[in-house]
Amino acid sequence: MLKLFNLGEMPGLDSMTVFHALARLGIESLVVASPRDPIVSVGYFEDTEESVDLDFCVEQAISVMRREIGGGTTYLDRDQVFYQLILRKGNFIIPIRIVDRYRLFSRPPIQTYRRFGIEAAFRPINDLCTRQGRKIAGEAGGDIGECMVFAGGILIDFDHLKASRVVRSPDLTFRDMVYRSMKENITSMKRELGEAPQRKEVESALIEEYEKLLGPMEPAELSPAVREMMTQLEKDLTSPRSISGKGVNPRMQVKIAEGVRVVQRLRKVPGGLIRITMEVRNNTLGDITISGDCTFSLKDRLQNLERALTGLKLERDVLKRVLDGFHSEYSIQSPQVTAEDLVETMLSQ
Amino acid sequence: MNPLDRSNASSGEEAKVIKGYRFPTDLYYHREHTWVRVEADGNVRVGMNHFFTKAAGVIVNIELPEEESEVMQGGVCGKIQSSKWIGNLVSPVKGRILRVNRDLMNDTTLVNTDPYGRGWVFVIKSFNLQDDLKRLLRPDQLDDWLVAEIEKAEAEKRMRKERRIRY
Repeated sequence: MLKLFNLGEMPGLDSMTVFHALARLGIESLVVASPRDPIVSVGYFEDTEESVDLDFCVEQAISVMRREIGGGTTYLDRDQVFYQLILRKGNFIIPIRIVDRYRLFSRPPIQTYRRFGIEAAFRPINDLCTRQGRKIAGEAGGDIGECMVFAGGILIDFDHLKASRVVRSPDLTFRDMVYRSMKENITSMKRELGEAPQRKEVESALIEEYEKLLGPMEPAELSPAVREMMTQLEKDLTSPRSISGKGVNPRMQVKIAEGVRVVQRLRKVPGGLIRITMEVRNNTLGDITISGDCTFSLKDRLQNLERALTGLKLERDVLKRVLDGFHSEYSIQSPQVTAEDLVETMLSQ
Repeated sequence: MNPLDRSNASSGEEAKVIKGYRFPTDLYYHREHTWVRVEADGNVRVGMNHFFTKAAGVIVNIELPEEESEVMQGGVCGKIQSSKWIGNLVSPVKGRILRVNRDLMNDTTLVNTDPYGRGWVFVIKSFNLQDDLKRLLRPDQLDDWLVAEIEKAEAEKRMRKERRIRY
């Protein structure tokens, strides 16, 4: 029988080290918990220095830790109810295909949202979203020791401002775009329902739904061995060696939700530096800001251009056609900055 | 043929096909889905099997083992990410890592597109090869283990379709 650790609010780092410890110790269990104080959790392969505004985190006393499961950089606080499922590999219930694991183990949080009147659904690969397509939970998983871990969080409320602020941004335009994109694309129970439900009711519903899927669970307390391992893991997962050292993220790109990202691209051209900050949704342009130290004449025409680009596919032919047309129609004077330069900047990796 | 599936490339050897998944007959297999090729110099080349590359999805990140590090048979020597899932890279034999496939640092999808060839992951100097090989599976031993795994994966897929399950 799986153990149930219904831990309520606990120190922020504990709410993350707990599943690492249980997995290492091979204790099959479900953890339901919330971080009492906010933390930033970085995915296993994320580049912390590129993804996180570490100065801001230090200033705000927000701990930063690297988790041993996937996903990106996440801001976590007490308005989230975590669900962390630990199963030994080889447990027959674990689907073989990764995407099927997400589907199956997402059922309880989806049903939890539905019990409160929110029509949540699974959106591959690892998001839960509302009928309107707004993200209402992110999930991640991985193998730790001899166990698999599946983890996510019910968003009772979400602090878009703080979440966007912990993301490393090259400038205010980027940060503002990240904030606006998060506000538009990430929702919460409070936003969907008009008021936040009682935390205890959410926790109870979540546990009931997991029991429907996995069978009855045995309520348990964290043993000294688990706590000791958590203490050691806190040191390891927050150490400079753990926080730094990975670097596989493309520069200046923040994933907001499945299919939605805010990116900034820079390109040096004979006319100067072009800087383009864009929200991209499923390869289609949302908000876009073009700037840099190039000479773009007729600044108000540039804003017309930004509006004309919004809604276009991020594809060379499409962009070139619009940009060429715009240049000739408005006689944009951009010494040594051509339509081709702008296209190349937008498409660069 | 699916252009992403070139699992028959590069090995050049005969392969056992189990429910559409290829397992070259000159290799040994570990239950954590790594394959082993014993090379002419006695060292062991390791990669991920075809079934794994399909079940995991597109590989997006890989943490390769450290060269000169030592690992036990069944020990975790790295990590592989697909679909936001971080999986263990398990060594099929005990030994010292001699070299890793640096091509994977530029293109992790080689593991998907050419799992038995250019998608190899590391070469290891085995300390106890003959004993370790006895604990691995030959292609003619794969059926019992793998058929169950494959049938489970297919049953899950069918069940979703039949029930039109939407989460």
